[in-house]
Amino acid sequence: MASISSFAMPSEAPTYSFAAAQSASGQPRQHGFYPYTDNGGSTLGISGDSFTILAGDTRSTSGYNINTRYAPKLFKLGGSGPNHEGSKIVLSVVGFAADGNALQERLDTIVKMYKYQHGKDISVHACAQRLSHILYNKRFFPYYVHAILGGIDEEGKGALYSYDPVGSYEREQCRAAGAAASLIMPFLDNQVNLKNQYDPNSGPGLEKVQRVPKPLDRTTVEEIVRDAFTSAVERHIEVGDGLQMMIITKDGIEEVYTPLKQD
Amino acid sequence: MSSPFAINGGACVAMVGKDCVAIACDLRLGLQALTVSNDFPKIFPFGSSTYLGLTGLATDVATVSELFRFKVNMYRLREERDIGPQTFANLVSSSLYERRFGPWFVSPVVAGINEKTGKPFICGFDSIGCIDFAKDFIVSGTASDQLFGTCEGLWEPDLEPEDLFETISQALLNAVDRDALSGWGAHVYIIEKDKVTKRLLKGRQD
Repeated sequence: MASISSFAMPSEAPTYSFAAAQSASGQPRQHGFYPYTDNGGSTLGISGDSFTILAGDTRSTSGYNINTRYAPKLFKLGGSGPNHEGSKIVLSVVGFAADGNALQERLDTIVKMYKYQHGKDISVHACAQRLSHILYNKRFFPYYVHAILGGIDEEGKGALYSYDPVGSYEREQCRAAGAAASLIMPFLDNQVNLKNQYDPNSGPGLEKVQRVPKPLDRTTVEEIVRDAFTSAVERHIEVGDGLQMMIITKDGIEEVYTPLKQD
Repeated sequence: MSSPFAINGGACVAMVGKDCVAIACDLRLGLQALTVSNDFPKIFPFGSSTYLGLTGLATDVATVSELFRFKVNMYRLREERDIGPQTFANLVSSSLYERRFGPWFVSPVVAGINEKTGKPFICGFDSIGCIDFAKDFIVSGTASDQLFGTCEGLWEPDLEPEDLFETISQALLNAVDRDALSGWGAHVYIIEKDKVTKRLLKGRQD
């Protein structure tokens, strides 16, 4: 009986033969628990002059398996009732879905508490900083997510903030996150920020001047988002099934769902 | 970062257009994060309209390109004609598979126009010679993820040579700008039936 596993309680009770045989080796056994999973998927946000668009695919994976074809990664924050009516801020989270949901619930509660305590809606600017603090508060056991927050700022302009898992954040014009971020981001650099594009009538060779990016209109942005996702679906196995888009304007949030390839 | 494929960095891409093909590469040679040279082309000509792009371990890029120079010269001596892209692709494939259990750490790309049929041809390989015949584009190197994204987003069928040049250039430049191990300028070849245009792109120098 000395050969029993160091993790098992010593006991004189009768046991099954296979259990005894298993512990006869006398080898110490290592037990482990890894608290994170990667659920794949991708999200993307682009801000315009008077709107912000956030988008994400709805596939949830673990390894080569598909958990579900409809698991939203976009969440409205604040507002009233189960449908968040009157909400003007959207959070998108990609990475570990359980952490993403936990984070969304915490921030949603905070946004609602802010309204109860101050009698007015939280600004995206304040909400963005609060999200950074929530993430950094778990600096040594992080929420395993890449978050993007979208809304309308106090001047009525589109606002977009992106985060790393421990709360480092920045306001940007566009950002892709998640499994296909490496595929989508250079495409966005080119099409939204006009990177590597020069004015053809601006002189010869190295004298050419960069095209200056200007805020895009809504239909153009929607087109870019769709192109980015259909491209990502072709080349990344963790992206697909459905595209959920939320368009945030001063009048509220419009939600659009379109199917993507399921292969 | 101890993968032999990611020590020196580099990117290569080939695309099909209307009666033309394009192949492009970056110019960086590095040792992990340290850039050693900004004039290290990864595309090599083998005959009038057959081109080979090689990314991966720089020492193998140099050795393999020289090995194929030798093999293609021997082919030309025996056959008294240039090697075609399809024939060359099969030569690359079988040469790589010879090293099945101790491979060259390279990801080759072949592009060219078949002299007889006049049809464009591109293909890519893994390091042991499995051929990937593609109708649209082939990517390789440390910026392959980024290249997949830009190519899938920008490429369309039947591009004319000038438009194909713009497409492949934008695809490559924007892809390498999101990869720390690639960039520092580029070479672009536009191959038509009886004309090859080589252009040097400056790109971001960081």
